[in-house]
Amino acid sequence: MQALPLLSIMLFLPLCGAPLALILPSRPGFSRALTLVVSGAVLLLAIALLLFYGGENGGALARLTEEARWIPQLGISYRLRLDGISLLLVLLTSLLIFLCVPVSRRSVKQGQAVFHCALLLLESSVIGVFLADDLFLFYLFWELQLLPIFLIIGRWGHEHRLYAAVKFLLFSLAGSFFILAALISLFLLHGRQSGDYTLAFAALRQTAIDPGLANLLFLGLTAGFAVKIPIFPLHTWLPDAHTEAPTAGSVILAGLLLKTGAYGLLRFAVPLFPQAAAANTTLLLVLGLIGLYYASWIAMAQTDMKRLVAYSSIGHMGLVVIGIAVQTRTGLAGAVLQMLNHGITTAALFILVGMLDERFHTRSLEKIGGLWQQIPVFSGFFLFFALSAAGLPGLNNFVSEMLILLPIFATRPLVAGLGLAAMLLTLVYLLRLVRQTLFGPVRSTMQPVDLSLRETCILLPLALLVLFLGLYPGPVLGLLMS
Amino acid sequence: MPTLLSFLLLLPLAGAVLQLCCHRLLPRRLLEVCACLAIGLSCLMAILAFVLSRGRTSSFALYQWIRVADFQASISILYDPAAAVMALMVTFVALLIHVYSVAFMAADKDYGRYFCYLNLFVFNMLVIVLAGDLLFLFLGWEGVGFCSYALIGFWYKENANCLAGGKAFILTRIGDVALLIALAIFLASGAGFSLSEVNHAAPALPPGRITLIGFLLLIAAAGKSAQLPLSVWLPDAMAGPTPVSALIHAATMVTAGVYLLIRLFPVLSLSPAAMTAVAAAGALTALYGAASALAQTDIKRVLAYSTISQVGYMVLGVGGGAIDAALFHLLCHACYKALLFLGAGCLIMACNDEHDIRRLGPGLRRRYPLLFWPFLLAIASLAGIPLTAGFFSKGSILAAAFGSQAAFPLLWWLLGSFTAYLTALYSFRLLYLVFFTSDHGKAGKRRPLPLTMTAVLWPLAVLALLGGLINLPLGTDSGWLTGFLQIAEEGRNHRVPELALGLLDALLALGGLGTAHLLFGRGRVREAIPGRALADFCRQGFGLDRLYQLLFAGPYRAVAAFLWQGVDVSLVDALLLLPGRFLSAAGGRCRLWATGRLTTSLHGFLLGVSLMLILVTLKIYGLW
Repeated sequence: MQALPLLSIMLFLPLCGAPLALILPSRPGFSRALTLVVSGAVLLLAIALLLFYGGENGGALARLTEEARWIPQLGISYRLRLDGISLLLVLLTSLLIFLCVPVSRRSVKQGQAVFHCALLLLESSVIGVFLADDLFLFYLFWELQLLPIFLIIGRWGHEHRLYAAVKFLLFSLAGSFFILAALISLFLLHGRQSGDYTLAFAALRQTAIDPGLANLLFLGLTAGFAVKIPIFPLHTWLPDAHTEAPTAGSVILAGLLLKTGAYGLLRFAVPLFPQAAAANTTLLLVLGLIGLYYASWIAMAQTDMKRLVAYSSIGHMGLVVIGIAVQTRTGLAGAVLQMLNHGITTAALFILVGMLDERFHTRSLEKIGGLWQQIPVFSGFFLFFALSAAGLPGLNNFVSEMLILLPIFATRPLVAGLGLAAMLLTLVYLLRLVRQTLFGPVRSTMQPVDLSLRETCILLPLALLVLFLGLYPGPVLGLLMS
Repeated sequence: MPTLLSFLLLLPLAGAVLQLCCHRLLPRRLLEVCACLAIGLSCLMAILAFVLSRGRTSSFALYQWIRVADFQASISILYDPAAAVMALMVTFVALLIHVYSVAFMAADKDYGRYFCYLNLFVFNMLVIVLAGDLLFLFLGWEGVGFCSYALIGFWYKENANCLAGGKAFILTRIGDVALLIALAIFLASGAGFSLSEVNHAAPALPPGRITLIGFLLLIAAAGKSAQLPLSVWLPDAMAGPTPVSALIHAATMVTAGVYLLIRLFPVLSLSPAAMTAVAAAGALTALYGAASALAQTDIKRVLAYSTISQVGYMVLGVGGGAIDAALFHLLCHACYKALLFLGAGCLIMACNDEHDIRRLGPGLRRRYPLLFWPFLLAIASLAGIPLTAGFFSKGSILAAAFGSQAAFPLLWWLLGSFTAYLTALYSFRLLYLVFFTSDHGKAGKRRPLPLTMTAVLWPLAVLALLGGLINLPLGTDSGWLTGFLQIAEEGRNHRVPELALGLLDALLALGGLGTAHLLFGRGRVREAIPGRALADFCRQGFGLDRLYQLLFAGPYRAVAAFLWQGVDVSLVDALLLLPGRFLSAAGGRCRLWATGRLTTSLHGFLLGVSLMLILVTLKIYGLW
């Protein structure tokens, strides 16, 4: 136990900031500055944790664990812990939330105070999901995420925002129901067995359950997480939600919320029921592969750039599912790295599409073209991130895709072969996206301006991360292996 | 040595980064000089390393790239004789082409992007050449694919150029996927990614796996080297600037596939089936390319199909078990084909963007003698006229095919020899049509050519003429190159009648020249292939393009649209929304009762009370 509860500070700083953002609704600059400061502080704290505790493969992170009694009658305690995986995801969270503030500078005009309040609330809840070591606490933060993102999509989204927001909410709630049911069953089972009614993750792992029931519970948990990841066929909320959300909403959805689903799967569902997970490996692999092919293929037919990136998101998350399903060290490392990479790349692509939307007021591939002539710097970034998504070696996604796919060959050659062949489909739709927007004749009559300093400053750190993770992933992989 | 090799590798990358970051800040001339300087210094390093190493192999790692459990990849270099020769060739040709490009792109404002991609390409190519780790090699392998894509579509305002670039990227990626699967097999077999370890461990692998790997490597090479059936991207790749075609699509990148097969030859040679497949692919592609080249009218497309055909020879050489012959032909081809493309660039520029060989003349021979003579030498070398470099290198490949261990060696040799005849025919067809048309035609406006553009042709011309010396058995058993590559002579079939074969090659080449003279001499313009339908068939590259469009690209797009609207929206989404719709419909029904009127409520109340009374009555009498 540390003298200073660093994890709690990181967790509650945004939560305390959230109501403060509402103080001066008539001065939107105040809430913006406040959010920037708070999320920046969280980001710095996360970086500091990485620097001070991330050494020696993250061995020192265990010392940060925090524990307090909370509702002893129900065996609920306040328990936080940080390891390499959650540290990386917390870093991603704080970076993306931090970037969301300048990203929304132009696109969010009304109700800025509420918007920033929602942003901070979201940061706390997502960080909470990644830190919680008690299943009740986890579930609490898991549900808490829904409120702010529902608000962000429904209030500041595009044309059909309400439909998309409600659809997202209903899908998520339906998924949560399965998770809750599985957790309560596990709680009761464990309590009856040991007489100790608790929701502590470490204790619940020891529960002896008969295989049939374990299978059922695992599938229930997985179904709940699958909605968020999303796994085919529970993905249909995502294209709508992404397309209708404002840029910040899309960034958060793709960069963070999908990650909480995958995190739940690999942190809770698989370790709680290892045998059931092993028994269902094939199912998950098949669903992951279907998602990869199906979404990549559909992405080819899209004309709305946001919807295209959304489908590409489903495809990339299919790879994460494959990595988690094989349950090897390489697969797991690859899956987490892929989550991180996908968060960076897809967020950047959504930010770029958002910048186009601000300039042209359209996201249609048929109305935008020849941008390289008009805005070359923007186009360079766009090409760069598209290549990153296409898995070009030297950039981030390649490393994780190789870690996930190549080692599978030893046990399941077909999965490896099909997964690798899917890189072709990814390239096909991304080249189409790039050609339609950047190349060919100019289609719009507008005269857009190239990236401003603010916009360059948003994209540059993401681009550097893409290069760093692609060329020198060693430190990050070391952190994951702890 | 490590420092030297690192500089050799990294200088072009530094050049690319400089172009990317500073192309707005620095004056144009300085940037051009920097781009050439990066390659020039790199070339200097290659020469130094070549001299200092004296044929010794050195390998070292720069750093560990990826390491998780037994998945280990490092940024490492394996500098062996084959790599040494390749690095020399790549940097030397690239340097000449960079210098040429400065003049060629003088009118283009986008020089920053051009030189950035060009430098980046050289870096990636050097990665392929030097990498000692297969995953690192793959970085260069896909990297050149991207640079090729970007440079084919360099003039991006034309949609057709971008489509051609995309096509090249996608088709070569089919090969890339095959290579990755081969890597996965190496990993699964415990051999890891290190090139030397893979070659070392290969004999211990089960034969089935080796054969599978062999075929995958063949697909990988076919993608990058434009061999059948993945050859269709190369003719379209001519949409890029001509120096790009010279560097990427003739001299270096398309030979990467051959180089890969050479590097992994110890693995490949273990599988007789794969070797036969390689020989077959090479021989058939050589014939296919030559036949198609015979019918082309666009000067760059003639050269493109010629490249496909010539690379086919190299692949045939590998399949025949003679990697020294393959590498020999690779080097000679790089010189004369680069020259031909650069010369074609001069011609096109001189004739104001005219690409049609039937309309390029007349009067070019007298007007541009500095261009004509090197072009003539390169054509002679391509055609395999005796005593030129091409004669010796092609001869050694045909001899290897004749004596190879692959199945049906005579068939591959026959195909190769027939192709040699066709090669001479189409080469001289090109020369006659361009330079020997009668002078009384209407001569269009001619532009003067910058000296740098013609000057760089001369060193290449000398090499095209004399390059054969590097592997001539002068007083020794084998040529210098074979000795330098340290290839064991034991496995070689010594019963090949080399002299007879050489004479036959000479006759075939001269026969092709004679036929071309009869057909096209004295300014005659006519079809080389009898029969209009056959000529059209060859002109369209045997209709492969249309076939793939029909079989793959079209259906893929149609299914994509169907999957989206037909399956995802109408089926999956609709099914998931069904419970919601049901609840909402049920809610709508219930709302009918909630009218708020007293009478409705009273009716409901009465109904409920009577129902309860009935139930209670039934219960009392024990009927329920």
